[in-house]
Amino acid sequence: MNDIVSVSGQTHAAVLPAKKGPRAEVIMYATWCKGCRICVEFCPPRVLAMDENEDHPRIVAPEKCTACHFCDTHCPDLAIVIRKLD
Amino acid sequence: MDETILEAHSLEAGEGLIPQANWFELSETLQKLRKNKKFPTIWCSGCGIGVVMGALIRAIDHLGLDNDQVALVAGIGCTARMPVYMDFNTLHTTHGRALAFATGLKIARPDMKVIAIMGDGDALAIGGNHFIHAARRNLGITALVVNNSIYGMTGGQYSPTTPLGGRATTAPYGNIEPPFPICDLAVAAGATYVARSTVYHALELDKYLAEAISRDGFSVIEAVSYCHTTYGRLNKLGTAADMMRSLKDNSIPQSALDRLTPEEKAANTKIVRGKFIDTPRPQYTQVYSNLITRVQGGEL
Repeated sequence: MNDIVSVSGQTHAAVLPAKKGPRAEVIMYATWCKGCRICVEFCPPRVLAMDENEDHPRIVAPEKCTACHFCDTHCPDLAIVIRKLD
Repeated sequence: MDETILEAHSLEAGEGLIPQANWFELSETLQKLRKNKKFPTIWCSGCGIGVVMGALIRAIDHLGLDNDQVALVAGIGCTARMPVYMDFNTLHTTHGRALAFATGLKIARPDMKVIAIMGDGDALAIGGNHFIHAARRNLGITALVVNNSIYGMTGGQYSPTTPLGGRATTAPYGNIEPPFPICDLAVAAGATYVARSTVYHALELDKYLAEAISRDGFSVIEAVSYCHTTYGRLNKLGTAADMMRSLKDNSIPQSALDRLTPEEKAANTKIVRGKFIDTPRPQYTQVYSNLITRVQGGEL
């Protein structure tokens, strides 16, 4: 998988393997995302942030993810998957 | 936002990093979705109903039930669109009659886990009678009532659970009717398992749903959600995330409530989360099959 991605760019999904202290992999599927900001506002370590146009969330700090599973359990559109790394 | 979505849709298959077919394989929750349906869902951006859908799938998954063992029955409304997206046996019925159809289904197939998914208006206004009588008979159905305080799909009319003073399109100066306490009503009508949680406490919702589905009798789960596009806008409650946060701030677990003094308890205006009753009672289809055995002269 590619390592990065802006959701508003050519590609519409992002897979970011964490670099240091990885606890989970954050996977987003922007086609289903409606940009409600719930994941961005509640993410405790602020892994996610809205893009420049405030339309869609982007994964800005994947290495900070603690695998708390808030975003994937609270995403109303089931557009986020958190995969715990061993 | 539209541009981005259009851009994403215009991609050829295989051009995006994750094609839809592969996306479904990524988690156990997604695998239980109906793959030939049009996604994303029809709900407004940020609607709590999607969170309840995720919780329901996780609860069924946790119990290890096969897709064919579960039947989802729904009426009409925002909430009632939920079974459309899930890969179980589903019935999409007339307004308010989800429990009526579920009753027939449960009597025909007592071995099935029947889950009736209703909104607050569907369950308590149009289908209010079915609700209390299904509870009285103690039919083995799980009633999942998603309470968003308003009729969302039809344009924001006040419903039987709109809070006193809340504004709706048909109550522009504030609602003067006191709301129905769904859980108290279910307990009084004879339900054997009643619990309430909110969409902010999604994992708690999972737990209660799994317990309710595993119980034999009539169980009611009230999932407190919100409608930010009509109720939230008319009452100036902010965005979906703001309303989600207010569910966190304005709810209190039953155990914390029990520790308060009687005066504090009386003054409590927060949503009480917890399990209100969990007492088994003879289940209707069981009683009915016993009756058949007895009348036909068989042994009981």
